Amino acid sequence: MTNSIKNNHTENFFSLLGLPVSFSVDKKSLTENYHDIQKSIHPDKFANASDLERRLSVQKAAQINDALETLKNPTQRSIYLLSLYGIELGENNNSVDPAFLMEQMELRENLSQVSDKADPLDALDTILEDVKSRINQTINSLETLFQQLLSDDEKNEDELLKKLTPQVLKMQFLNRLQEECMNKEEDLADQI
Amino acid sequence: MALLQISEPGQTTAPHQHKLAAGIDLGTTNSLVASLRSGMAETIADENGQHLLPSVVQFLGKQDEGFHSAYQTEVGYQAQQNASADPLNTIISVKRYMGRGLDDLKKHSIYNFVAEEDSVVPRIRTIAGDVSAVEVSAEILKTLKQRAVDALGDDLTGAVITVPAYFDDAQRQATKDAAKLAGLNVLRLINEPTAAAVAYGLDSGSEGTHVIYDLGGGTFDISILKLTKGVFEVLSTAGDSALGGDDLDHAIADWILTEAQINDPDAGLLRRILDAARQAKETLSEQQSTTLSIDLGNGEVWESQLSLQQLEKLIKPLIRKTLVPCRRALRDAKIEVEDIQDVVMVGGSTRVPLVRQMVGEFFNTEPLVDIDPDKVVAIGAARQADVLVGNKSEDDMLLLDVTPLSLGLETMGGLAEKVIHRNTTIPVARAQDFTTFKDGQTAMAIHVVQGERELISDCRSLARFELRGIPPMVAGAARIRVTFQIDADGLLSVSAREETSGVESSIQVKPSYGLSDGEIENMLKDSFSHAQDDIDARKLREEQVEADRVVEALLAALAEDGEALLSVEEQVVIQQAIDELAEIAKNSDQRAIKLKIEHVDKVTAEFAQRRMDASINKALSGQRVDDLNNK
Repeated sequence: MTNSIKNNHTENFFSLLGLPVSFSVDKKSLTENYHDIQKSIHPDKFANASDLERRLSVQKAAQINDALETLKNPTQRSIYLLSLYGIELGENNNSVDPAFLMEQMELRENLSQVSDKADPLDALDTILEDVKSRINQTINSLETLFQQLLSDDEKNEDELLKKLTPQVLKMQFLNRLQEECMNKEEDLADQI
Repeated sequence: MALLQISEPGQTTAPHQHKLAAGIDLGTTNSLVASLRSGMAETIADENGQHLLPSVVQFLGKQDEGFHSAYQTEVGYQAQQNASADPLNTIISVKRYMGRGLDDLKKHSIYNFVAEEDSVVPRIRTIAGDVSAVEVSAEILKTLKQRAVDALGDDLTGAVITVPAYFDDAQRQATKDAAKLAGLNVLRLINEPTAAAVAYGLDSGSEGTHVIYDLGGGTFDISILKLTKGVFEVLSTAGDSALGGDDLDHAIADWILTEAQINDPDAGLLRRILDAARQAKETLSEQQSTTLSIDLGNGEVWESQLSLQQLEKLIKPLIRKTLVPCRRALRDAKIEVEDIQDVVMVGGSTRVPLVRQMVGEFFNTEPLVDIDPDKVVAIGAARQADVLVGNKSEDDMLLLDVTPLSLGLETMGGLAEKVIHRNTTIPVARAQDFTTFKDGQTAMAIHVVQGERELISDCRSLARFELRGIPPMVAGAARIRVTFQIDADGLLSVSAREETSGVESSIQVKPSYGLSDGEIENMLKDSFSHAQDDIDARKLREEQVEADRVVEALLAALAEDGEALLSVEEQVVIQQAIDELAEIAKNSDQRAIKLKIEHVDKVTAEFAQRRMDASINKALSGQRVDDLNNK
């Protein structure tokens, strides 16, 4: 399969926001371009326009917001990049390696035991730090792999995509775990 | 390479004309109207020099024929004074009842709420008949509108109305309905904290991250905004739409009831106690102690001292309750207290010293109170109204707001599946796919809910509708795509479509506790004293205004982009359609105008789409030029 998007000129979230297709995104350009576009098409600019233009502007502004949301977050960005290569991540994907599955269970168990610790907030902090450093590691390897994938050399595409998929799933998991940690923190803080 | 010419954004060829627009703060306790006069946004006073209009409506009776209201009412200070003598016909804090069902309303209320047949909206029984919260609010809005028209000397082109950021869809829809009843053209509903930020941000021009702490009469909002080069981006918002200064009054009133050993107060006595409680709270913002004196109605008067210390003990738990949403907003914005530049205080209740003290301690900064906390929201709304109505503004300001609560759908087992998460920037459109549960299932019930909890029963039910005519398939084979769209007012519409067959169903979400279109139509009719001529005249005028708007917008668009984006033939077709519409709009055939507008929409749809895409390209190419210049 050759799903390369390099020569594909159809509109995607990157081109929509005036950025090159890449895993690493220049945050400053992303924000500036986003603001400039919204300044020209936001519904507030069409409050006095015809119904038709108002409708169109709501749709367009929503699309731009969606693009920003997707590109801002590394997990969503990597899922989106894979989708440009025709890979849709399902809920039950078995391509995660067993070692990572073990790791997952361990992390989850730690989280579930936090409330029993002498200082639950402190214990939670330790877990959060651990999750964050794992996320950063994963981002680094995603960066390298996507860079190779999007570089000129096309012959390793399938192989790279095979390596990328489990990394993206790992990001997805770590993200969810981070969210659960935050929720836990909220619960603990509210109890105090 | 040929250089493209780019005109100033928003510039039109139409002659410049200052349009009148107002900002309205429809508050729980007080309401205000503000407008931009000679470049300054100011609140407008009544003939007695009063800027605040107490949000109190006393119903006196049915109106005689020929007046533009169905009711005889007293609104404002006079009504407030009459409240304890006529408690059941005088509606106070009506904002708390907007978009709410009967069960919600029974708490803490002295009014006789009644359920009406053929309507899901509860009514309050008064001497003038049963009135909904929307109608009561419309009376307040009518008074403010009249005040603005008198002061500005002409009718308003449009108004911005503010709502608490934490208002849900039903409460927003109810507010918009009230404005419609009051005959206002709503340019936009904007969130109160965002409006306050506009009032502050443009004055100080300060870039950075700001917190708006807005404790009003009946609602609490916290918003965290980032201000960059005229863009106000709301990072997160949280709050409690049933917590405000009223609750402080109730805490004091409960204490009085206990101290005075009153077990079963009638409505008049309860009103007097609540008034005394509010008075005491206000006095203790300046003094250490105050004397309470209450006429018990049986010839006796109860008197007691209340010290600041006692008061603070009574209200501290309530203020602490506001800090929970503060923490959540920080977390959702992914920032720490250290990142906050300043905290702006909004709402009359932030005059209470303990509020300022506790909020200051929480955010570790001295709260800002530079602009009158009662007026700041209306002032910000007026500025935004002026921009929206199309008066050319020096500052290229843009508000990017968020939706306060997650929106989702009921799935099997009474669970809520979130489709749009809280604090997502609006407008937003999101789709989610669902499938059938049984073989041969041909219909699907869609239940839309709002809230953060997992169980449907813990969320607020927004609307229910059905998708019918799904072709019979085995369970799990159908692909039903449900799309949620939230517009710039924060209002939701939902559509559902079976992808394999194309069967479609969509609704503008009419909230479970909302007025139906028919009910609003009837209320409008009532307010025009049943005169069919009046209603027709109004409809015709609305259609003519819309036609004028379409013509003006298209002429400007043609002048700006016609040559660049259209072939000569396309320009001719559009010009012809515009001419026809302008001609027909002069006549008094409302239906013909409506049909012509639809025709023009069809003819110009492609042009509008191209213009939208072109302006994105323009925005981006402008950006690149800037980048080059900086290098």
